[in-house]
Amino acid sequence: MALEKIARNIPASLWSEASEKLVEVILNSPNASRMPSDLAKTILYYWQRDQLATEVGLHRLLEASMILEPEKTVSLMEELGLTEIVTMLKETSRQ
Amino acid sequence: MIEFGIEFVPRDLYWKTTFYAIQAEKIGFDYLWITDHFNNRNVYVSLAIISAYTERIKIGLGVTNPYLVHPVVTAQVVATLNEIAPDRMVCGLGVGDRTTLQMVNVKQTKPLATIRESVRIIRDISSGKSLEMNGEIFTLLGARLNFKIVNPVPVFVGAQGPKMLALAAEIGDGVLINASHSKDVENAMKFVYEGMERSGKKPDDLNISVYTSFSIASDYDKAFKAVVPVVAYIVAGSPEMILERHGISCEIADKIRDAIVHGQWKEAFSCVDNAMAEAFSICGTPETCVEKIDRLVKAGVNQIVAGSPIGPNMRESINMIATQVFPQFKK
Repeated sequence: MALEKIARNIPASLWSEASEKLVEVILNSPNASRMPSDLAKTILYYWQRDQLATEVGLHRLLEASMILEPEKTVSLMEELGLTEIVTMLKETSRQ
Repeated sequence: MIEFGIEFVPRDLYWKTTFYAIQAEKIGFDYLWITDHFNNRNVYVSLAIISAYTERIKIGLGVTNPYLVHPVVTAQVVATLNEIAPDRMVCGLGVGDRTTLQMVNVKQTKPLATIRESVRIIRDISSGKSLEMNGEIFTLLGARLNFKIVNPVPVFVGAQGPKMLALAAEIGDGVLINASHSKDVENAMKFVYEGMERSGKKPDDLNISVYTSFSIASDYDKAFKAVVPVVAYIVAGSPEMILERHGISCEIADKIRDAIVHGQWKEAFSCVDNAMAEAFSICGTPETCVEKIDRLVKAGVNQIVAGSPIGPNMRESINMIATQVFPQFKK
């Protein structure tokens, strides 16, 4: 399933917390050099406009986080109690 | 009112530095400085992308040097960047980092004359003037830029020694005092005032900034651990007079320098103690950092630059400055 659709399933009440935690995973990842430059620039665009804690922002953060730290991303979603998202992410990883 | 600056070393990936730059602007920093060392990511490219993702914060070369980059090139760069970020560009200039320059066999010859002439070149050329100059260091034969200049760019001069501090205050729009401890800043201010007097400047005519090594965390040990590498380099590069002022023996400084030169980082960093961190950084919990900043403000500076490493976790430390330091000074 496309990450865009997955991001849409994150409840609005968790947007802020999820974006904070995803940003932390991305910034502290030892695999940061794997970040595609275009994706980095899109994230910076949303960050500048305070749109990381929105559907579109979360989509991009999720995309980056899955490239840099797929296992940590799944664990983070588990911590947030988003079991449906966890299943979707695991399915995406298998494809 | 006191202003705050933040310094980033572009060792990190460009998007990380830019992310933190956006964060720094959001939380209310007034200035953002990017260091210039040939072995890190390029300062001009870093500033260009940061300019594109910020709108208000002043952005500066913090600092470049005329030994590796000819001042006409610096003038060209700051004039171009000032088009991308109108009225936000600041040019920081100094003699450079001796260790880095040694790697390319460049000597910091005649530093005072070099800086004096460079400031003139940068100021005139980046203001759109044509410059003929037969200096002790540089010769220009009617050099000028082939494009229209938006606005002149302020030039800040980085300084540590007495003569350079006085020169910086005399010819600069700002002075960047390279120190973190109030004792060093109080001592530096004597020479800054001397330079101001020489050029007839009033206090409002000069931005007096102190460029600190800064590490903030909720736990002192974590802040200390983060600042150790930076302090090791400062101790290794400090003149005897400054070491003596803080009761640090030259033998231990030599030991640290020797270990750094030989790449023995563990050995070098293990020599750094709390007294050294106290002397050469603003390091500790938010309360401690506020106390130390307050002493610098009382010494007469206008801008506090929080320099590398900022803290053990960059994002958290920047937020900590916003929530626990700024409210004490930005009312």
